[in-house]
Amino acid sequence: MLKEFPGKVRLVFKDFPLAAHERARPAAEAARCAGALGKFWPYHDRLFTNQPRFARDELVQYAIEVGLERASFIRCLDERRFRAAVDADAAEGRAAGVRGTPTFFINGEKLVGAHPVENFRSVINDALKARTR
Amino acid sequence: MNRARIALFLLVVLVPAAWAHTSSPEFILDPVMTKGAPAAPVTIVEFSDYQ
Repeated sequence: MLKEFPGKVRLVFKDFPLAAHERARPAAEAARCAGALGKFWPYHDRLFTNQPRFARDELVQYAIEVGLERASFIRCLDERRFRAAVDADAAEGRAAGVRGTPTFFINGEKLVGAHPVENFRSVINDALKARTR
Repeated sequence: MNRARIALFLLVVLVPAAWAHTSSPEFILDPVMTKGAPAAPVTIVEFSDYQ
């Protein structure tokens, strides 16, 4: 969508680790650590490619693969430096009515679940039209 | 008295409920977890987990 609507769309990722997904939480915290070290999106993509292989050693391995310095990443991960930040995202989601993943808000318009790309295109086009009215 | 009660009910219960239904949520945006043009007219906020 970012390529299809250049300059018109931005994407914001928010953590909403489901309780039933026991490895989602450490993965979310690991991605935050990667972000703090400058590699959020490459690490985020690596996690989705490799889900659900999120044992600690695997999280560290992905960090190395995206070019992060091992010791700094491990320190961040083991200190659980971003635990509160992940909690804050989840709380924000719950307050907005998020109950499952993925849930999208496109200029505030809620879209629940994985949808075909045509649905996103349609909602984005509607949002763009609404902005030009 | 009844009219006053009805008016109070409308004001206290129904108006906030309608507002909550129609207003868009606002989210804190972390620039590290954001991509695309900062001034883009459309913002997609995705709540997701990795598993």
